[in-house]
Amino acid sequence: MKNKTFRKAEPYIWILPSIILMAIFILVPIVFVFRMSLSEVSKAGIIRGFSGFANFTKVMNSSAFKLVLRNTIVWTVAVVVLSTVLGFILALMLNNEFRGRKIARAIMVFPWATTLVIQASAWKFIIDTDYGTLNTLLLRLGIIDKAINWTPTAGAYFTWEIACGIFVTIPFVTFCVLSGLQSIDTSYYEAATVDGASYWQQLFQITMPLVSSSLTVSTVLNIIYVFNSFPIIWTITKGDPANHTDTLVTYLYKLAFYNGKQGQAAAVSVIGFTILLICASVYMVYTLRKGDD
Amino acid sequence: MKKFAALFLTVSMVCGLAACSSNSGGGSSDGGSESKDEGGSDGKVAINVIAAQYGQNTKTWWEDFVKEFTTEYPDIDLTVEVESWNDIYTVVNTRISNNDAPDILNIDVFANYQADDLLLPAEDFVSKETYDKMYPAFLEQSNVDGTIWAIPDLASARAMYYNADILKDANVEVPTTWDELTAACEAIKKHDSKIYPWGIDMTTDEGQAAFAYYTWNNGGGFVDDDGNWILNCDENVEAIEYAIGLVNDGYTNSDPANDTRYDLQDMFGAGQVAMMIGPNSIPTYIADGGYSINYEVAPIPTNGGNDSVSAGVMDRFMCFDNEYSDAELDAIKTFFDFFYEDARYSEWVLMEGFLPATSTGGEILAKEDESMASWVDIVGSCNFYPTAKTEWDDVKQGVINAEQQALLGGNVKELLDELQAEIAE
Repeated sequence: MKNKTFRKAEPYIWILPSIILMAIFILVPIVFVFRMSLSEVSKAGIIRGFSGFANFTKVMNSSAFKLVLRNTIVWTVAVVVLSTVLGFILALMLNNEFRGRKIARAIMVFPWATTLVIQASAWKFIIDTDYGTLNTLLLRLGIIDKAINWTPTAGAYFTWEIACGIFVTIPFVTFCVLSGLQSIDTSYYEAATVDGASYWQQLFQITMPLVSSSLTVSTVLNIIYVFNSFPIIWTITKGDPANHTDTLVTYLYKLAFYNGKQGQAAAVSVIGFTILLICASVYMVYTLRKGDD
Repeated sequence: MKKFAALFLTVSMVCGLAACSSNSGGGSSDGGSESKDEGGSDGKVAINVIAAQYGQNTKTWWEDFVKEFTTEYPDIDLTVEVESWNDIYTVVNTRISNNDAPDILNIDVFANYQADDLLLPAEDFVSKETYDKMYPAFLEQSNVDGTIWAIPDLASARAMYYNADILKDANVEVPTTWDELTAACEAIKKHDSKIYPWGIDMTTDEGQAAFAYYTWNNGGGFVDDDGNWILNCDENVEAIEYAIGLVNDGYTNSDPANDTRYDLQDMFGAGQVAMMIGPNSIPTYIADGGYSINYEVAPIPTNGGNDSVSAGVMDRFMCFDNEYSDAELDAIKTFFDFFYEDARYSEWVLMEGFLPATSTGGEILAKEDESMASWVDIVGSCNFYPTAKTEWDDVKQGVINAEQQALLGGNVKELLDELQAEIAE
C-alpha cells in the first residue's frame, strides 16, 4: 500500500524542483508586476498603496500609447509573417541536395548565433547617412554621387528595424521547418510523382500539412519573442522620434526608467502580457483544431 | 483534452518568456530601507557604494581607491559597485524596491529619493571640513526646503566649439548671436554643402540640454526666479522654433532625434560638423579619438541681447538613511573625507576630463592647467537643470518629446502649452 502511494507521488516529486524554480523565477515576478500595476508607486520604486486601475487609465488615455500599440502590432505581424514566409522558402531550398549545402546551413546560423545588440548595431552602422557602410559602398561603386539619407522619416527607421528583425528571425524559422521537412518520408513524394502531381501540388498537399506542426511551434514562439523584443529597437532608435518607433516593451522601459513611472510601466507590461496570451492561445487552439479536423 | 493541453502550454510559454524578458523589475516593498547590518563577523564596518561609470577609467580608479582606502582604514569594509549610465537607474531602483538601498550613491539626480524620505541630510554624513570645500552654488542645486541632501562630486560645463579652419575658409566670423549664427550656417553651407554647419542633439539621452542651450540664451528656461515651471513662455517657444528652423533649413546634422552627442563629437572631430555645443571634455574625446582638427571654444550664441549662459551638469553623492550606528556614520564620513582629499579629488576630476565641484580642487586644477582655469570660471557661473524638483524626470522627457514632435512638424507653442499643463497637474 505504502509502495503504491509512493509510486503515485513519485512523478510529482521528480518534477517538484522544476515547479519550485518556475514559481520563484516566473510566477513570483509576474505576480509582483500585476501588483505593481494596481498600485501607486513612487518614482524611487516604493509601493504606496492600492490604486485600482488608475495606472491603466493613465496609460490608455495617453496619446503615445495608441501609437505604440499600433507600432507593436505592425512590428510583430510584419516580422513574424515575413520571416515565416522567407524562412519557409529558405528551408525548402536548404532541404534540396546541392554542393555546399552544409556550408549554406552553417551560414544560416550566424545571424541567429550573434547577439541582437551586435546585430542591431551593425544594421545601424550600415544605414547611417554620414558614415554608414551602405552609402560608402554605393559611393565607391559609383552608383550614387552623394550620400543618401536612408532614414529620412520615422517610418523609414521603423522599416529598417523591421528588416533587421526579419533578418535575425529567419534562421529560427528555417531550422524549425527544416527539421519538419527532414522528417517527411520521401516515399510520399515518390508516390505523388508517380501519380503525376506537380511541384506545387506536392508542396501544398504533402509538404505543408506535414510541416504544419513545426510551423505552429516556430510561429507561436516567434510571436512571443518578437512582441517582447527589446534590443533591436532600443539599439537603433530608442523608440525615437517621439515614440514613433517605440513598441510596448521599449515604451514601458522608458516609462519605468526614464520617467520614473513604474506603476504605469507595469500596467503596460500587463496589457502586453494579456494581448500576447490571447493571440498565442487563439493561434494555437485554432491550428490544433484544424489539425484535429 | 488536446485543446486544454495546448492552452496550458501557451500560457506557460507566455508566462515564461514574459518573465524572462521583463525589465520592469519585480521586487517591491512597502517602505524605504531596512536596518543595516552591523558589519561583518570580523567586526568590520561595512559600507557599500554604487557609483556611475563616467568613462573607461572609472572602474580602475575606484578599484585603486578601494585598495588605498582599505589599507588606510582596515576596520572599514568598503565595496564599490560601478554601474554604467544605462544600468544605474535600474539597479538602484530595483535595490530600493527590494529594501536593499546602497549606503552611498553617486548619480545625477536625487529629488525622487529625497521625496520618498530615503536620504540623510548632507551635513549628517559629511564632516564640516569636507562640506566647506564645496562651491556653495553647487550645494544649492541639492537644496529642498532649506536642507542640502546631496553633495557634488564633479561637474561639466558646455560651450560652443567651432572648427577654425572651416570658418576661415568660409570667411565667417565666430557667431555670438542667433542672427550671426544663421548667417554663418548659410555661408558654410554655400562654401561646402557636404559639411553640416551646426550640430544639434535632440535625442532621448540629451535633448533636454538642447532645450537649455536655446531657451537659457533667449531669456527663458525651465523655471522662473520663484522656481515655477515656465516651459511654454514666449522666449522658450521662440527658442525652440529657432532651433527647429535650423534643422528645417538644412543647416544641421540630418537626424537630430537620433544623432547622439558622441555621434556629433565624432563628426566634429572628423571635420564634418563645423560648430556644435558640447562639454569641456571634448578636447580629451578628440585627442583620444585620434582626430586632428583646428578647433576653438567660444560662448554659446544668444538672442535678444541676453548674456551668454553656459549649461552646467553636476553629479552628486547622496547617502541613504539605512539606520546607521554611530560607527557606520563615522565610516561614511571617513569615506568622504578620504575621497575629497585635495590631491585625490583632483585626480578623480581629471580622470575623465571633468571639472571640480570644490573650491580647493578648482584652485589646484586652475594652477596646473591654464585652459582648465577658464572652464573653472565658466562652471562657477553657469545655469543648472532644476533637478531638485521632483517633476524633473517628467519635464526632461517632456521637453525632449516636444522637440522631437516639433522635428516631425508639430507646433512648438501647442506642444509646450500641452507640456506645461501636464506638469502643472
